[in-house]
Amino acid sequence: MERTEELFEKIERYLDKTLSEEVTIAFEKEMSTNPELKLEVDKHRELHNVLSNKDVLDFKEKLQKIGEEVKKEKLEETKTSFFPYLKIAASVVILIGAGTLLWNTFNSSNDFSNLYTSYYELYPVEDVTRGDVLDQLDIVMKNYAQGNHDKVITELEENASLVSSEQLELYLGNSYLQVGKEKKALLQFEKINDNSQYYEDANWYQALTYLKLGETNTSLEILERIIRFDGIYKEKAIQLKEDLE
Amino acid sequence: MSINEERKILEGIAAGDAKVIKSFYKDNYNYIKGYILKNSGDDVDVEDVFQDAMIVIYQKLKSGTLEMNVSIRTYLYAVCKNIWRSRLRKNKKIIIDNDAIEANEEIEASIAEEIENKEREHVYRKYFLKLSDTCKDLLNLVFDGNSMKEIANITGYSEGYTRKKKFECKKSLLEKIEKDPMYKELKITSLKE
Repeated sequence: MERTEELFEKIERYLDKTLSEEVTIAFEKEMSTNPELKLEVDKHRELHNVLSNKDVLDFKEKLQKIGEEVKKEKLEETKTSFFPYLKIAASVVILIGAGTLLWNTFNSSNDFSNLYTSYYELYPVEDVTRGDVLDQLDIVMKNYAQGNHDKVITELEENASLVSSEQLELYLGNSYLQVGKEKKALLQFEKINDNSQYYEDANWYQALTYLKLGETNTSLEILERIIRFDGIYKEKAIQLKEDLE
Repeated sequence: MSINEERKILEGIAAGDAKVIKSFYKDNYNYIKGYILKNSGDDVDVEDVFQDAMIVIYQKLKSGTLEMNVSIRTYLYAVCKNIWRSRLRKNKKIIIDNDAIEANEEIEASIAEEIENKEREHVYRKYFLKLSDTCKDLLNLVFDGNSMKEIANITGYSEGYTRKKKFECKKSLLEKIEKDPMYKELKITSLKE
């Protein structure tokens, strides 16, 4: 059914009860034989009912505003808890002077570790259980969700055939990250190629893994790729890139 | 939390007190976040669920139908959990971490049905608030029951333009709502004239 100005006007006048009695009866008759029209009228009625409650709408707007404020404050806290480390590291380097490259590297990796912690979130559990391996995978995913990453790794390493999807590569990679096996994590993420729907996820976790390893140049290169990709990680990538620079 | 503190939070939410709401928001957001992220959700889902749960509580407080046999926090968790479970079911995803959130069977059952009825409302509001300011202002005047002539007087637009703009805004809103996968899963219920 085509939506037109005239149709909307008629529906609104019907709901407002400002149509003449004759037109109202005809319209109701039409609705009784035309379910599409009836559905359209129902939608308009519900839309009006819900949205005329201004009080609840205002409350929702208030919540959105508060949500934004809380997010912003959290980001600020992350930044302020990160930058003092940088400042301290810089002061130490100046004081000790040249020949303290080792020191500097050590401190920097500490800073990167903080930055990594503030950006890293475990890849969330989704429905990956399929077919006759359901039980076995189910157990792996339960362990993953409960943070038993050692068990996830043991199970998936012993039964390599279980890692049958790119999503599982991501889970295994995340479990490696959780137990401090960054190089192995990278190998998992690198298996996901650019045709995959998980390519962006894989890139994001690669960038974070290099960050954790203190290889910021590689991390930055990947972040730029994510930004060009223009997907769901773009904003985070821009933010992390700014923090790194 | 003492009864007094509980009461202050409830009164604050009902009155729309931004300070109380913000403090409550900060105290409980991460807990809900943990549950949703563990169960196939992302940050956007967390925000949607948390805010929609707060709206359910707000509406119940305003209508005087909130019967609290448990703490406000337990109640919020139960509402969030039910909203998220309902959305997961509709997206046909499984729930791995079934008991990760504090549960209270007594309030579970009563909440579940109510959540189902509120889901459509959340979709309507979500997309309405995403419209341009012009569309929001115009449609607010329409929903307040103003005639096209009255709206034209208030906004300074011509009556013809007001009519056309109102149609475009409403059509675009309906189209956005209909595209939401949640909306497709929901049946039109409780339609009262």
